[in-house]
Amino acid sequence: MNTQFAAELEAAREEFFRTGDSNAVFAARSRFVDDAVLDAYTEFLAPAFPDGIAVLAVGGYGRMELFPHSDIDILLLTEKGPHSRDAKEGLSCFLKAIWDSGLRLSHSVHSVQECVELHEQNIELNISLLDERFLCGTHAEYARLQERLPKFIAAERQTLIKQLERLTNTRHGKYHGTIHHLEPNIKETPGGLRDFHLVWWLTKLADPHRAAPAWLEGLSDAKSFVHSLRCFLHYQTGRDNNLLSFDAQESLVELPFIDASDAAGLMRQYYRAARAIFRAATRAAEESTGKSSSMLQSFRDWRSRLSNSEFTVSRDQILLKTPNLLEQDPEAALRLVRFVARHGITPGADTERRIEAALPAIAAYYSEPRPLWNYLQEIFQMPLAMQGIRIMHETGLMGAVFPEWREIECLVHRDFYHCYTVDEHTLITIENLLALRENKNRSVQRFQELLQEVDQVPILMFALLFHDTGKGNADVSHAQESVLIANHAMERIMMPEEQRETARFLIDQHLILSSFMNSRDLDDPSTASFLAERVGTIERLKYLTLLTFSDISAVNPSAMTPWRIEQLWRVYILGHAELTRELDTDRIVPDPADHAPRSEFLEGFPKRYLRTHSHEEIESHLLLERRSRAAGVALDIVKENGVYRLTLVSTDRAGLFASIAGALSSFGMNILKAEAFANRRGEILDTFNFSDPGRTLELNPPELERLRVTLERVTLGKIDVKKLLLSRPKTSAPSRGSVIKPTVRFDSEASASATLVELIAQDRPGLLYDLASAFSSSECNIEVVLIDTEAHKALDVFYITSKGQKLTLEQQAKLEQRLIQVCGV
Amino acid sequence: MKKIEAVIQPFKLEEVKEALKNIGIDGMTVIEVRGHGRQKGHKEVYRGQEYQVDLLPKVKLEMVVPSSRADEVVKTLVTAARTGKIGDGKIFITEIAEAIRIRNDERGETAL
Repeated sequence: MNTQFAAELEAAREEFFRTGDSNAVFAARSRFVDDAVLDAYTEFLAPAFPDGIAVLAVGGYGRMELFPHSDIDILLLTEKGPHSRDAKEGLSCFLKAIWDSGLRLSHSVHSVQECVELHEQNIELNISLLDERFLCGTHAEYARLQERLPKFIAAERQTLIKQLERLTNTRHGKYHGTIHHLEPNIKETPGGLRDFHLVWWLTKLADPHRAAPAWLEGLSDAKSFVHSLRCFLHYQTGRDNNLLSFDAQESLVELPFIDASDAAGLMRQYYRAARAIFRAATRAAEESTGKSSSMLQSFRDWRSRLSNSEFTVSRDQILLKTPNLLEQDPEAALRLVRFVARHGITPGADTERRIEAALPAIAAYYSEPRPLWNYLQEIFQMPLAMQGIRIMHETGLMGAVFPEWREIECLVHRDFYHCYTVDEHTLITIENLLALRENKNRSVQRFQELLQEVDQVPILMFALLFHDTGKGNADVSHAQESVLIANHAMERIMMPEEQRETARFLIDQHLILSSFMNSRDLDDPSTASFLAERVGTIERLKYLTLLTFSDISAVNPSAMTPWRIEQLWRVYILGHAELTRELDTDRIVPDPADHAPRSEFLEGFPKRYLRTHSHEEIESHLLLERRSRAAGVALDIVKENGVYRLTLVSTDRAGLFASIAGALSSFGMNILKAEAFANRRGEILDTFNFSDPGRTLELNPPELERLRVTLERVTLGKIDVKKLLLSRPKTSAPSRGSVIKPTVRFDSEASASATLVELIAQDRPGLLYDLASAFSSSECNIEVVLIDTEAHKALDVFYITSKGQKLTLEQQAKLEQRLIQVCGV
Repeated sequence: MKKIEAVIQPFKLEEVKEALKNIGIDGMTVIEVRGHGRQKGHKEVYRGQEYQVDLLPKVKLEMVVPSSRADEVVKTLVTAARTGKIGDGKIFITEIAEAIRIRNDERGETAL
């Protein structure tokens, strides 16, 4: 390299480290390389190709964006390839001369015809020619290319666009479609330079003569910032390195042209730039496919029928019918999100701009307490909820509705395992949870079943949304800080207290199962007790297990190993077994000196009762008990969220549970859940959640009173339930393919005084009555019951005694036969 | 030089790492593995379904140490990893022919 060029390159380097200006580096390097290529061409190539050869710069070199250690891409255009000995020799010397200049050269030799053909297996050749620049050589060759290339591009535009899309999707997929990597490859990851090139190429393919669209100009700051990062990385490592590692981030912050006091600040700038580039790339890709097939057009026409009074759907994008809708009516922003979550259609560019412009008004509106939880629940339960949540994040709506969210936006939390920013990790946890529904992987099917069993998935999603918000405060335990943050948010959105309690618990304890997986002896009985004590109920254990599964899976793409899946399941089973055992063994024992009516009523109930009922509910049960003293029975039936709940207090007697179940069944009710507890005084507290598939109670209000009276009479033994059931509506048998084979398991070790019976069977109306009757007719007494249904599966737990004792093996065998027979359809 | 491979209970990992660090052994490889000993796993029961768990999650540590220290390392490992119950794990020792530091081509025990 001659001294003049060396001096120029060094000057550009110094200038860059002072100002961050990469353009000076590009200009100096391009001049140097152009000169080296021209010299080598003149000396070696021109004499060896007497019929003519043109040398073109392509790719980054063609764009004159040569980073300090970028490869040099050139294309040698000649009709007659290097077939002769002189040509081969000349080419070899040409390449050697350039390599000897210290440049890493990548070259190809093609005819004009080859340049205007489609290369499906080497689409990079076609794309690189979009940036071609004549360097030196025979003009005749180049003139032929200049004449034919635009025609080729016009003819193959759609194919080239599709191929670019394909390459981009593959590249994005490799980086999991997110910009939020803690150590991003600033060339290849979504939002990196390759996405900017994509925008550039798509613009050129759309119309090479058209001026660049206005929004492209808006990217220049983002592009310059990422250019300066890449220049630094090349200078720092002395090679074509594009990984913005933790070390590189620390070094960059020391430089005068970086406006950030620490690496976290630098990365926030990076993510803002990457987001702008990524969104531009997405927009450019959408606009490119606008000139589409008639089939796609028909699909889009159909989708446009989804338009409503507020939103127009046009070309598969949402537009606002009233431009300032969101400022006038901030709640419309969430209606928009709901629309996205329902239909999977995304806001157009203009709509996104309007959302961003309305953010201050939306934030001001939601800073006051609003009944927002109902809205959010609806969004969370929509088929495409995740799309809605992502739009909230990308447009800044999440931060407007939940200012707490801003603390973790683009927050880098460095540790060995996490590879995403905290906000991205949070969104991925929710994605992982929802993805369980469609997961066909056998090893996670167990978790899929758990998800089907939990009632309130929106609570779980809310807990995931807030579980790491505390990481914005490095000084305290993040779980506890997250609880405090979530409390403010739950109050503002007016979430009911019962649900807040669950969310608080999940956020506070979200690390406990991981801790048990890694640092507890799972074979030690005390581990099971400790876990059960911490978790409290089977329902909470399920929520926590799903939360832990989602959380670990979102740490990095390979975090949820088969090992961890197995270990997490072991912890779940351990907790489940202990909590089931405790239904019978772990009873409320009040202070002997305490003779308050409340304490006497509660004595003997499983401790689970206290964990699953609020203070208000316990007070209402006490009232029921007082009412029952006069009549022998007292009951309440309330309807909530489409499901009825019967709470009944009476004196225990043989067959009572079966009778109540039968009475409900005789009215055509479908029992979804049930609990039956008895206290020390022999009073029972039974709770049945049931649905009314025939809408009998809704369409005939007097039937509710008739049901109430029937239940009272059945409880008091004044009506024979068998007679009631004679008029029970017949049900149709499920299809063969969906029948669940019944399984019954006995465990005489789970409790000191009763036998545990676990049963899974095909749910059907009347099943619970039939099972309870089977127990009754086998001279068994039901001490504790926990019934649940999941879709068509009945999941029943009974603690049974016979004449006050556990069941013998012989009794178990007979009972098993009877139960299987009852479950048969 | 000797290579020491130890399969231990997962909950013992931190204790073992700390114990090894205290005797100056910082370098090791940790792998999540699954396996069983002579007992061939056990039966788990969930919701009335019994299923055999043959391969239990364990953790495997590998380290190469100077031969003169092998006994000390093994003793430390055993003390830290032992609970006295079935499933504590096993340790295997093999001879190592050579060790090379990739960064600077250092060889032998100084590369450890």
